[in-house]
Amino acid sequence: MNDFQERMLPARMSDDSNSPTELEGKISVQQAGDQAKVFAARMRLQKAVDQADALDAIREIAVNLIGTEEVAVFKIDKKRSELWLYWSFGTDPNKHSVLEVCREPRLPEVLSGKPVFRSRFSTENLLSTDDPVSALVPILVDGSPAAVIVLFRLFPHKMGIEPVDKEICEVLSNCAGRAVEPYHSR
Amino acid sequence: MPKKVLLVDDSTTTLMMEEMILKQRTNYECVTAKDGLDAISRAVVETPDLILMDVVMPRMNGFEACKRMRLQASLRETPIILVTTCGDEEYVEAGFQSGCSDYITKPIDGFELVTLLQNYLGE
Repeated sequence: MNDFQERMLPARMSDDSNSPTELEGKISVQQAGDQAKVFAARMRLQKAVDQADALDAIREIAVNLIGTEEVAVFKIDKKRSELWLYWSFGTDPNKHSVLEVCREPRLPEVLSGKPVFRSRFSTENLLSTDDPVSALVPILVDGSPAAVIVLFRLFPHKMGIEPVDKEICEVLSNCAGRAVEPYHSR
Repeated sequence: MPKKVLLVDDSTTTLMMEEMILKQRTNYECVTAKDGLDAISRAVVETPDLILMDVVMPRMNGFEACKRMRLQASLRETPIILVTTCGDEEYVEAGFQSGCSDYITKPIDGFELVTLLQNYLGE
């Protein structure tokens, strides 16, 4: 065991909860943590003061609550045949400027209003790009998708999209309208 | 008297989430700061029992704030936990070089956060 591991061990040892009572306690704290994340995401989006703040809220939620520093928002064109890059963070904007719906088999599902997630052990990417895509989340305005949030590569220590991440994405889907429609009422 | 925790992050989302978890699951008192500079002045005034601080922040990052806090006599022994996006050994080692006591990676897991803080502060 090296110095680094020795220093880290004491604080991590109590992570081993084996008895039923400890397990119940762990689940309870875990649930409280998950609820706090979902609540914080909703509050942050609802309190966004303008479009720029709403886009920043998407970035904050992606980085701090879901665990990715690569996120982009694509607006859906009127014909619903293409998606145009509208805003991005941590990705090369020249690499993903347009997505053609006919070439992206997962997009029709997203355009019907449902988020799509990459499962933990899946090798299939959600878009035809070299960069791994973890989730495609429609932004609903008046009940219809107006844009799509693309969450790319997750942090290396994060194994995949978890149930709480899906709940947070539901919040993004329902509360991020101001990011693409500045005058959309909350 | 409840233990006092200083939460430092430029993200209001993170502060809200951390504060909610700690208020629901512990009896610690929470105070907040929005960047490294703000954190130093709050820490000197509030003398918290523990500091939970993000690394990437405007004006002054968590590493630098940690170094400067360690120069303050009143904060020399205060546990400082850094919140990082990266658990790489080199990055974490940089945190320890700055004087931090421990680290936790984003996205913060509620159970891990509570357990870690209780290890330092007790329940």
